[in-house]
Amino acid sequence: MKYKDYYAALGVPREADAEQIKRAYRKLAREHHPDVSAAPEAEARFKEVAEAYQTLRDPQRRAAYDELGRRPAGQEFAPPPQWAREFGTGSFEDVDLADLLASLGRGHPARGAHHPGPGRGRDYESGVRISLEQAHRGTTLNLQLDGDPGGARTLEVTIPPGASEGQKLRLRGRGGAGRRGGAAGDIYLHVTLAPHPVFRPDGHDLHLDLALAPWEAALGAEVEVPTLDGPVLLTVPPGTRAGRKLRLRGRGLADGRGGRGDLYALVHVDVPGTLTERERELFRELAAVSRFDPRASAAKEGMS
Amino acid sequence: MTAPPLEVGWLDARETVTRIELAQACGLSEAEIAELVDYGALCTLPAAAAGDPLVFSAECLPAMRRAGRLRRDFDLDLFSVALLLGYLQRIDQLERQLRSLQAHVPFHGPASHREGPQPWREPHG
Repeated sequence: MKYKDYYAALGVPREADAEQIKRAYRKLAREHHPDVSAAPEAEARFKEVAEAYQTLRDPQRRAAYDELGRRPAGQEFAPPPQWAREFGTGSFEDVDLADLLASLGRGHPARGAHHPGPGRGRDYESGVRISLEQAHRGTTLNLQLDGDPGGARTLEVTIPPGASEGQKLRLRGRGGAGRRGGAAGDIYLHVTLAPHPVFRPDGHDLHLDLALAPWEAALGAEVEVPTLDGPVLLTVPPGTRAGRKLRLRGRGLADGRGGRGDLYALVHVDVPGTLTERERELFRELAAVSRFDPRASAAKEGMS
Repeated sequence: MTAPPLEVGWLDARETVTRIELAQACGLSEAEIAELVDYGALCTLPAAAAGDPLVFSAECLPAMRRAGRLRRDFDLDLFSVALLLGYLQRIDQLERQLRSLQAHVPFHGPASHREGPQPWREPHG
């Protein structure tokens, strides 16, 4: 068994009291927690200080650990002979020091030896990124689970239609196997949607930009717009202004309950980058006869 | 090894979890779950299941799991977990609102409102 220097891991003297140990742990945990630190070694460092704290915070475990005396970290050592009786095992080969100490006070020996009583399997958390189309129609994907005691495994998961951005799913009983007849753990999936070149999802509604020519916006038109089911004709009413949203009811994403969200087309009015001579002539004629002032309301507000 | 395909359960208002399930999922005891309800950090559903009156929307499960993990990682007391849970739920809510607002922002929308005294006919950049 390899010795671990838990006091050094927390940076506290061996005679530190419980409060000092707690304060040192919290400081290091705050620094190295994977939610806080993006450093590549943060997770390993966090595990190291957490393991040290789990032993030193518990008086019984700490006393047992202190029995080992001071040694260089990583040094191979044989536990005191009375540990064989206390831990109910004759062999400490392949037993981790932290697991061994963690079994203290639970009335059962460390991992690798015989355990009574069932234990629930491990839960897994995993993120999956799917396309809008997959969210809408449902999809089956292969989920790679690493870190299982039995080795990596692949699970085929069917995500039914109706997932939305940020949706959380649970695969009950598909996590790590239970110990000694205990229930299997669960898998938690966090769904994110890959960006789509046309549609922007909002829950089960979809939004898209609809570019109109000035005459289409002014006179009204029937324009083709893309939907998840293929293009459809949308009637643009006359006098449609930029920024207006035109709704296509039930053309959004499936909601998983037999319904669908809506599709919103956000109008913006575009103009040609270059004009032909005839176009320029027509626009000039329009400018001369039109009394429309798009800045009239802004000017009024500025005056008030 | 590939297991047979399986369906998944939504963790949203469509599903419910019992106190036992919630306790197992987030590594807390059933008594601690009841204490979080007392603090007002967790809301029970009005439709009481037979036996245990504490039934929750499955929507709370991800935040509860996160709070349970942070509790273990930072050795927090239960009252801190209650406060933390409120903030985690608020962050979830704000992230949803942010995603919703992003969907409303056009890729090529009209020019945004210009601040300051620059003239309207400023030459294009």
